[in-house]
Amino acid sequence: MEEVKCYIPKTLKEALEIKAAHDVIPLAGGSDLMVAHKKTIGLVPEFEKPVMIIRNLSELKGISVNDKGECVIGAGCTAAEIAADERCPWHLRQAASRMGAIGLRNSATVAGNIANASPKGDTPGPLYLLDARVRIASLRGEREEKVSDFIVKFREIDLKQDELITQIIVPLSEDDFDYIFWHKVGTRKANAISKITVSQAIRFADDGKTVADYRLSATATGAMTNRSRNVENLLIGKEICDKTIEDVVNGFDAVISPRAMPEFRREATRRMIRRFLSEAARRPQNKVIDTYDDYHVTGQPEPRECRHKKGACHG
Amino acid sequence: MDMKICFKLNGKDVSVTTDPLRRLIDVLREDFGCKGVKEGCSEGECGACSIILNGKMVTRCIIPVGAADGQEIMTIEGVSATEKGQTIVQAFADGGAVQCGFCIPGMVIAAYCLLNGNPDPTEDEIRLGISGNICRCTGYDLIVESIRLAAKRGGDIWKK
Repeated sequence: MEEVKCYIPKTLKEALEIKAAHDVIPLAGGSDLMVAHKKTIGLVPEFEKPVMIIRNLSELKGISVNDKGECVIGAGCTAAEIAADERCPWHLRQAASRMGAIGLRNSATVAGNIANASPKGDTPGPLYLLDARVRIASLRGEREEKVSDFIVKFREIDLKQDELITQIIVPLSEDDFDYIFWHKVGTRKANAISKITVSQAIRFADDGKTVADYRLSATATGAMTNRSRNVENLLIGKEICDKTIEDVVNGFDAVISPRAMPEFRREATRRMIRRFLSEAARRPQNKVIDTYDDYHVTGQPEPRECRHKKGACHG
Repeated sequence: MDMKICFKLNGKDVSVTTDPLRRLIDVLREDFGCKGVKEGCSEGECGACSIILNGKMVTRCIIPVGAADGQEIMTIEGVSATEKGQTIVQAFADGGAVQCGFCIPGMVIAAYCLLNGNPDPTEDEIRLGISGNICRCTGYDLIVESIRLAAKRGGDIWKK
């Protein structure tokens, strides 16, 4: 009998049965897997294991809010669907809206972005920041795990052979914070793999000065997305001042471990933390602390106008 | 292992018996003769292979044909046969949007998807709309102008 190379289940139950019986690679958008396994024009991509196409499973679609007020995102939701849905938290929408370009965002899923476990993935940063969980199903039952635990290490996730990610649940949103920040440094606006992305959020106590909650995560700054509650705790319960800002800056600098262009990545991260915290301390009107021009990050003034003739580069 | 894959292509029900992991671009070009849309980067970045899948622009070089089973596909061949498609094609020709032409089928698909959702886009919205389509000849300005021309000429057809 010819070996089965591909399954196309019609229901989630069927998909879980296939997963229970065979060691298969689930494929939804294909934006990571098809590229990683491509051969050349006209040749069929070659996978080391059979593939299970789950792109069109209706049970994995849809975005909703559960009775606890948490945002529940189907594992098969695309980046474009998340970017366009205001029920999704702001940080996640920002990240989803800058993944690849339009055509790719209509295919790529957030579950795939998590499962790929790349330190440069766009969505894990916001998901770590907001304590998001993955919901995982198998014929044995269902379980939930924090995204930050689910991604075990570089390119490794905590998923058993018979399990499938079905939902991403995000308990927090921008409503839980007074000020929010998200900035991705890329070579252009579309189709850019993150050089570095920093997500931050802060909430003040009733006195308006004491920090009640502060969160900070960074992408492309090490082998995994970085977040450290210990570093955040250096600020929580205190007021923002030069010393507490530098405590966070130095604390986080010790957490990240960028390999390529480490000084650039460290300095850009330091500047984004200082920028957000010093702005938040001034209590501006706008909740979103501006994502700002690149020269703040690089230290090199760059004119806003494009260097080339108008339109020669865009993004 | 071949499977029978059925989908709607430019309004017609079609089927093909093939390896479900073959890339949609190869199947459409080789089995269905839809050679209008090109293969550029093979990684979903350049937009030359854009098609419309269930009403949304996607890059088909990263989609296995098995994922198209039961779905609805429109290629540049289908788009350019419509009044909307013709409006864009004519505007691109009149506006001087085309140089080598390799990116243009993808650009037309992007313009079609943009104008269908936004009949009167600003320049920024047009540039965002084609931000996934890379052109190495034109510098984009004439393409942007031509999309604006198509929006103006088409008028109410974009609201249908």
